[in-house]
Amino acid sequence: MAAVLPLSPERHRAAPKPALLWTLGLAAVAACAGIAVLGALNEELYQPALRVLLVSWVSLPFIFAGIVAWRRRPDSSFGPLLIVAGFVTQLSVLQWISQPLLNTVGQLCDLLVAAVWLHVFLAYPTGRLAGRAERVVVIIGYVAAVGLQIVILMLGGFNDRHLLTVVKRQTAAEAVQNVQLLTLSALALVGVVLLWRRWWALPRWQRRRPAQILINCFSLSLVMLAALLVAGAFQLPGFEVLRLTTFAVAGLAPLAFLAGLLDARLAKAGVGELIVQLRTDPAPDLRALLAQALRDPTLSLIYWLPQYGSWADQDGNPANLPEPDSGRRVTLVEQNGEQVAALVYDATFGEEPELVEAVSAAAGIALENGRLEAELRARLQELHGSRTRVVEAQQNERRRLERDLHDGAQQRLVALALELGMLAEQADSDPTTQSRLKRARSELAESLSELRDIAHGLHPAVVSGHGLAVALESMVAVTPLEVELKTDGLPRLPEPLEVAAYYVVSESLTNAAKHSQASRVSVGVGVTNGTLSAEIVDDGIGGVDSERGTGLRGLADRVEALNGRLRIWSAPGDGTRVRAEIPCG
Amino acid sequence: MRVAIAEDSVLLREGVAQLLIDAGIEVTARCCTADELLARVAEDPPDAVVVDIRLPPTHTDEGMQAALTIRQQYPDVGVLVLSQYVEVGLAMRLLADSAEGVGYLLKDRVSEVKEFIAALRRVADGGSALDPTIVSTMLKRHRSSDPLDSLTPREREVLELMATGASNAGIAESMVITQRAAEKYVSTIFSKLGIPATGSESRRVLAVLLFLRS
Repeated sequence: MAAVLPLSPERHRAAPKPALLWTLGLAAVAACAGIAVLGALNEELYQPALRVLLVSWVSLPFIFAGIVAWRRRPDSSFGPLLIVAGFVTQLSVLQWISQPLLNTVGQLCDLLVAAVWLHVFLAYPTGRLAGRAERVVVIIGYVAAVGLQIVILMLGGFNDRHLLTVVKRQTAAEAVQNVQLLTLSALALVGVVLLWRRWWALPRWQRRRPAQILINCFSLSLVMLAALLVAGAFQLPGFEVLRLTTFAVAGLAPLAFLAGLLDARLAKAGVGELIVQLRTDPAPDLRALLAQALRDPTLSLIYWLPQYGSWADQDGNPANLPEPDSGRRVTLVEQNGEQVAALVYDATFGEEPELVEAVSAAAGIALENGRLEAELRARLQELHGSRTRVVEAQQNERRRLERDLHDGAQQRLVALALELGMLAEQADSDPTTQSRLKRARSELAESLSELRDIAHGLHPAVVSGHGLAVALESMVAVTPLEVELKTDGLPRLPEPLEVAAYYVVSESLTNAAKHSQASRVSVGVGVTNGTLSAEIVDDGIGGVDSERGTGLRGLADRVEALNGRLRIWSAPGDGTRVRAEIPCG
Repeated sequence: MRVAIAEDSVLLREGVAQLLIDAGIEVTARCCTADELLARVAEDPPDAVVVDIRLPPTHTDEGMQAALTIRQQYPDVGVLVLSQYVEVGLAMRLLADSAEGVGYLLKDRVSEVKEFIAALRRVADGGSALDPTIVSTMLKRHRSSDPLDSLTPREREVLELMATGASNAGIAESMVITQRAAEKYVSTIFSKLGIPATGSESRRVLAVLLFLRS
């Protein structure tokens, strides 16, 4: 069974104890009962039953949604924040009581509710405030809600029951209160802007339910809150109706959040589908399937290759785990105590650790297979790389030797031949001297000719110097066969490609001349669709065994080292066709 | 005659210069790069240049490019290209437009002093000089129903000399025959191979090469 370890930038926190969650839930319900009693006993209250109902409606959904969120996402502080928001709402009811201390607490919590809501909405979904703007708005919100409230209370605002009155300045208190209400109202509207700004910054695929419903719900709550606060400041008519609707809408926000969690739970149905697909498809594109099951098209899958001590993608290319602050989340998949793979996915919205866990558990065996395949590919790449290096090194060495011969021995011998030639011109007509000179010059000419053949055999300098087309024309001219050469429009290409194609044609022509009994050969070299192709077709006896002889094997090595391929068709009696294709785009 | 040399090996450059001076030829410039040669030719155009096909900095085709440039910009300057390897493909490129005032020889030929000086003078005078190995290579090429088979050995010999750029007088001298007899051989060869007879000796070099290549 696969084990899954979530790796996240923040510290991994333990899940809250069920007893604590139960206590919180029961406390919330008990508090509502208490509020109902308070409402019933309070004779000053306008429409007490409705007020009790409203307070319960905005506090219980927050607290219950908070409990669920905390249990499911212990890493996120969003759950605790929701719970705090619910209890703050309940505490604000204490202002109904005339006992001075409790009344003071109630008064302090009255507008704190608005600030906490703002905090909750802007902190979704991680529980942390992502941007500087968000942090500033929330801090000002708390200062206005609590700080200004204390000032109002010290000026003797609201009533005489609380403990904070220092001086009795009713007008000043009212003025401060208006500033407070309008500030909070403005902050609520700024909050709406921030929410939408974040929404538009999301990639298109993420702008979907449930995030959309949530953003709509949060925004509506904030707009209503702003309107309510303005109505309170200017004492507009219809305040009570507005309060009713605002609370009704605010209570919906945590319900929408719960709906989002449910939606994620529904997404687990995709795990079943994943299992079916993994069973029916023997070689699945695992990344695509996991991306589909986790509904994150940006998901990437990387494997741990213990032999290399590094991570690699499906094709065996080296890969890295994302940086801690990259906005990507990583889940390690372990099998029998060894890490096998890592899922790297977007952490902005809808992080679903349980879903990821279920998906990676379902894909356990397939992931192990994928890892083996990635390892195989990495080995193949390594092998291919080393073959390329061997061929390259060999070619470089041969080019160097040719160059050394050309610039060194060959030049010196030509200079010597010139010296001897000039000497022969000037020497007296002593026949012995002349004949010895003649012999020396002819020996030298022979040495030069041999040296030239050796140098040319080491590296076809004409290919590097003047291109494949010129070199092939020369080659065809010395081939003792009737050759039809087509190199029309052949551009200059990187040297390794030109040299490889040169050797393919050279070896094929040599074979054709030696063994095929062919009378005609056609050679076609050209570039089409970013591929250099060289094809040599003869009308000889065929039957070439491509596994025998080092010539063809060496050619195949040369071509394959350049990611190309060499194919040979040589049915007995049907001529031989050699075709090399090398990518050059 | 005035000649400029471009050759990066000091030994060879000075050797060739000495060879030319001994033959009474004025050496106007001794260059070791293609750019230097082009600059010196622009300053003071000689009758001919002797240029190594591989020159610095990359030792690939700088000499060849300089030769082609001089052919194009200074049609009156003869160009004699020297190379450690002679390649039919390069000969065809060098002679692409005309064989007038151009030569392409294996470097070793400098040691055959008389022949080399003769070839250089021919090139400077607007004639051609093609290395015998190129001609013999092309003659060896196999063809089905080869018209060359209809030539007598003497006629083949004349064809080879003609292709290297030799004049009728040169052919006569090499084969120890009269100039009249040489002319007769040439016209017989042209009619046997079906090549239209051309007046100038360098034009017939190209005509023969194109015939041999086809």
